[in-house]
Amino acid sequence: MNLLDPFFLEALVNGILLGGVFALPALGLNLVFGVVDVVWLCYAELVMVGMYAVWFLHTQAGWPLPLAFVACLPIVAALGMLLHLLVVRPLLTSPPINQVLATGGVLFVLQGAATLVFSTEFRSLGVDMPPMEVGEVFVSGTKLAAFCAALLGAAVLWAFLKFTYVGTAIRAIARDREVMPLMGVDPRRIYLIASAVGGALAGLAACLLVVQLDVHPFVGLSFGPITFMICVMGGLGNMLGGFLAAFLMGLIISVGGFWGTTEFSYVVAFAFFILVMFIRPKGLFAR
Amino acid sequence: MERNGTSRRTLLQAGAGLGLAAGVPATARAQTAPARGGDPLRVGLLTDLSGPFAGAGSVPLFNGSEVAIALFNERGGVDGRPVVAVSADSQSKADVAINEAERLLGQEGLEVVMGVYSSAHAVPLSGRFEAQKKIMWITSAIATAVLKDKHFRYVFRPTVHSDQYAEGTVSVIHEQAQKKLGMAPEKVKLAVIYEDGPYGTGVSSAIEANAKKFNMPVVLKEAYSATTPDLSTLVTKLRRERPDVVYQAGYNPDITLFLRQARSGGLRFRMLFGHGAGWSQIDRLWETFGKDLQGMGNADPAATQMLDWERLQPGVGELAKTFVARYQAKHKMNDLPTHASMGFNNTWIFLEHVLKPAVRKTGGMTAEALREAALQVDIPEGGTIQGYGVKFEPPESSMAGQNSRSLCVVMQFDNAKSHVIWPASLGRDPVLPLPPESPYALRS
Repeated sequence: MNLLDPFFLEALVNGILLGGVFALPALGLNLVFGVVDVVWLCYAELVMVGMYAVWFLHTQAGWPLPLAFVACLPIVAALGMLLHLLVVRPLLTSPPINQVLATGGVLFVLQGAATLVFSTEFRSLGVDMPPMEVGEVFVSGTKLAAFCAALLGAAVLWAFLKFTYVGTAIRAIARDREVMPLMGVDPRRIYLIASAVGGALAGLAACLLVVQLDVHPFVGLSFGPITFMICVMGGLGNMLGGFLAAFLMGLIISVGGFWGTTEFSYVVAFAFFILVMFIRPKGLFAR
Repeated sequence: MERNGTSRRTLLQAGAGLGLAAGVPATARAQTAPARGGDPLRVGLLTDLSGPFAGAGSVPLFNGSEVAIALFNERGGVDGRPVVAVSADSQSKADVAINEAERLLGQEGLEVVMGVYSSAHAVPLSGRFEAQKKIMWITSAIATAVLKDKHFRYVFRPTVHSDQYAEGTVSVIHEQAQKKLGMAPEKVKLAVIYEDGPYGTGVSSAIEANAKKFNMPVVLKEAYSATTPDLSTLVTKLRRERPDVVYQAGYNPDITLFLRQARSGGLRFRMLFGHGAGWSQIDRLWETFGKDLQGMGNADPAATQMLDWERLQPGVGELAKTFVARYQAKHKMNDLPTHASMGFNNTWIFLEHVLKPAVRKTGGMTAEALREAALQVDIPEGGTIQGYGVKFEPPESSMAGQNSRSLCVVMQFDNAKSHVIWPASLGRDPVLPLPPESPYALRS
């Protein structure tokens, strides 16, 4: 095994960049779960809606791509708020299984709605950035840009949660949702804001994915299940844990695929997940 | 919104409206023409109208069948009895396909179900049809494993099987290597990547077998899931192995994902061949990649518009012309996808050459009568709109139910059109290697 093999190094870089793809949805999903205590099973479908929004605004409405990206965030944030107001809030005191089934139902509603509006055709932005070539190592320009944007998004979220009053309230609610109302924090408002932020993160993830994948109503199948796995592995509700687990999973898939086969890499990833569940059932990075 | 193709909304609306006209449950019907008298003849039509397979060819497959049924009814059906299609959506899921097939056979009481896009569905379905002694008429699913050594009596496949794909795409390189690539065939390095279902596995095994036959080295053979979010490591491994020719058997979105990541990952080769499914959606692929696809190849039964209709049997060219005109008018297509021709052709073969004689002979349409009629079909080469003839292998054959006269051709993309390049007798001279301006072309 030659660790300086340029192809191995390329696989390592690919793994880190792939982690960046998983990190943002994992972050958003964990934020919502940590604060509201409800798993949005339809999270990948919110990303899908965002991808369609970018595609539509850019290729059909003729908006410049950066403007379409900017518009995508509030669109999906609004969708996140709507999801909370219409589906999650009425079920906040219901058993968890009802909440899961309800957001699972929204998943099918969004897939069906996208099929009706956009048909089952695969849509593409048709944009690509030239690759970077460092020696024999090729790095996709598009994936690198997406990775940087994911890091930037995570940093902005961290700053928001750390340095703003609302962010502090969100963190406090995530720590103890029983006590915070006694301190004057309105949990209903915080839940709504967290849902909007979670939606905005799905919107940002959509901007990063729409340049890498074709858009179709079932695109969520490509990254949704693995995002949930990452969240559980990092510790549901643990934002930092989910963020780190995304990179760990990206590396396992990429390096496993390099040393074995693409299918083998997923066997290793799922075996590792099961192992983590045995050893640390609350997640790898649970405090 | 829907510049090309048909949306699920259109399909369901058509099904609902026409179903009401027939006085049957709206969600289950897709009758495509007014009745002319006599009891309607009901057939099942099972395709994927939603899920990933819908955009990878299953919707054109349905649309082609729909045109065939409408035209057949307009021409009088079976002595005035119209055909009514009871359609069902497999949703790109094998379990849904099985449940829907059970519903069509059980609740709807049908004797025959046509369609089935995916081999991953055809494999579990075929055994069930055989056990229930009902006719399964496969219009698309191509994996050899669906029929190989099964000796089915009630499962028929008028279209090609996966072994034929590989025979074509490997033969092209074997025949042209010295002349066009300046290499002895034994020196041409091949790589095979494929989705891990029966379709991809069947095609890849056949490519490997054909490569072995010609003593051509396969430097990498690897499967992946069609819904994988990333193929960049596979691209890295391909780059390490430096294949001259890459063979892919994929649906979508894996095809576009691979092409995109291969381009950004610096993968270069002399030629790439797809094998039907997502590779046959040329309009869609060209819209995404444009001239980057120039010179790449694909194997599939020929879309009818690629053939010289004058050389087909009398009347068949006229039928093909009518079909293409109707399809283009209804679906606003430039170059019809192969699956549209497959849907029309294989449905037409059933209606005209199996259903009609069976009903005329017995007065009804039992599975037994249909089976006997199917085994009697004897259409010579040029007798269908896709150019091939039809003769089904008998039950004692290792490929029982397979059309032994089906033909797979290899095509090459040239400015958003596909042109036949193999067999040499049917097509034009292939252009190899990829043009130097292609981002995928190997720089020597």
